[in-house]
Amino acid sequence: MPAVRAGSSPFRADTTMIRFENVTKTYKAGTVALNDVSVDIDKGEFVFLVGPSGSGKTTFMRLLLREEAPDQGRIWVAGREIAHLSPWRIPYLRRNIGCVFQDFRLLPTRTVFENVAFALEVIGRPRHVIDGQVPQVLDLVGLANKRDNLPGELSGGEQQRVAVARAFVNRPLLLIADEPTGNLDPATSQGIMRLLDRINRTGTTVVIATHDAGIVDQMRRRVIELHRGELVRDQARGVYGYGT
Amino acid sequence: MAVSVEYVTRETATNLWRNRLMTVAAVLTVAVSLSLVGVSLLLRQGVAQATTQWQNGVNVLVFLDAQPAAPAAPTAQQLTIQQQLLQLPYVKSCIYRDQAYDLAEAKRLLDPSAASVLTAGTTPASWRCVLSQPSEAQAVAKQFNRFPGVAQVQYPQKQIRTMETVVHVLDAVFLVLAVILLLSAAVLILNTIRLAIFARRREVSVMKLVGATNWFIRIPFMFEGIVQGLAGALVAVLVTVLLHVVLDHFAGHNATSLLYRMRTPAGDVAVTAVLVGMIGVVIGAAGSAIGIRRFLDA
Repeated sequence: MPAVRAGSSPFRADTTMIRFENVTKTYKAGTVALNDVSVDIDKGEFVFLVGPSGSGKTTFMRLLLREEAPDQGRIWVAGREIAHLSPWRIPYLRRNIGCVFQDFRLLPTRTVFENVAFALEVIGRPRHVIDGQVPQVLDLVGLANKRDNLPGELSGGEQQRVAVARAFVNRPLLLIADEPTGNLDPATSQGIMRLLDRINRTGTTVVIATHDAGIVDQMRRRVIELHRGELVRDQARGVYGYGT
Repeated sequence: MAVSVEYVTRETATNLWRNRLMTVAAVLTVAVSLSLVGVSLLLRQGVAQATTQWQNGVNVLVFLDAQPAAPAAPTAQQLTIQQQLLQLPYVKSCIYRDQAYDLAEAKRLLDPSAASVLTAGTTPASWRCVLSQPSEAQAVAKQFNRFPGVAQVQYPQKQIRTMETVVHVLDAVFLVLAVILLLSAAVLILNTIRLAIFARRREVSVMKLVGATNWFIRIPFMFEGIVQGLAGALVAVLVTVLLHVVLDHFAGHNATSLLYRMRTPAGDVAVTAVLVGMIGVVIGAAGSAIGIRRFLDA
């Protein structure tokens, strides 16, 4: 029984991580990416965002990172309304959000350690903090022995682990992943999912956009389904498709 | 948020080295254009120095016999000389400069060793006359040179007038050239910065993703532009100072030579050098700021 939740319950800053309130986003050509979407995601939740290509998953992620602003509606992340955030505050929003992408987005000329350290360096963290936190997170993702390798010397799964380490090294409140297993084989994908699950258990909210049905069916977590920009399903312990 | 010195130095050095050919081109363009600016400023100062006496359209200087008491007002004899001067049809007006004023001016124009022997009591006062026909200056000189109470009559030599015209033209040409070259220098710097950012667009996008502020991303690139502008300016300052030293050497101690009259005090040259340096920094900063803008929007 899919239980559809609307974002109409009273807003509680202490437990709500993400709230979309009647959010609409239309692109210039007239394509409707999101249409009147309302949804709440609590702190510490693990959520799959599913739907076919063009359903609005990526737009959902871009709005969270404030790479786009919605045309209508409001969005809260960690108690702050971000739809009308002034540009100079955007970097500070992103420091609370770790993100992982299908194409890893690692810097090919830097070692594993440097790639992860880069995320701390550019937000002005001092050296001793970097030297303390990076080995810790490399340990967590199981790449402590590859710290001096370049990304090109690693397998796809290992590269994605580096990307996860980079996203998590600053201990963000929220970790979002856009098709994190899109380039990986099923066995490797499972490894990445287990890693994200572990990160979720440290209290970090995790949102994963995916159309990897196997993964979603196996994990049995909350599923939010978008179709042509509309929220069509919001199901606790859901599966990828209807009725399966 | 702190941007560490170490970070900026490292990133700036890396960028400059990666684009060394473009960097050299930008630095040389800045150097050539700012050298022109420097030389033209030096030239202006030299001409101003050589023509101080002939300001306000003064065509003839009638130096009067020095009075030991150095009176501030003309004596009866000196007033008679003025009357005589004004009776000439081509003399428009004459103003009086007392001995103290002329002493001050002499100190500015003469060699310090030569000026040190002068006192207000020994420096002549002067009538400074504007002519309706400047070409008659020589006639005035001839007529009044042996006049009682007159020490000497001076009028601008032809070479000063010619020099003024030549310098005027040169000045305009240099200025136009300098502006064009400065613009191309700014565009070259802009292009170098753009190449540098383009080469590192992955890094820039990751930086934005993990929450680096725009200023954090911008500063190393702006420094790169400023370093280029400053390097070019340093070369230009060297050229300007070298030229000054060489000309000074050629001027020697011949007080009647044109170069000697154009000698510029070292202080003025220093001001020119600082000005050239500042223009270099501004060009570098402006070029890079425009170059970065496109990459940081959105």
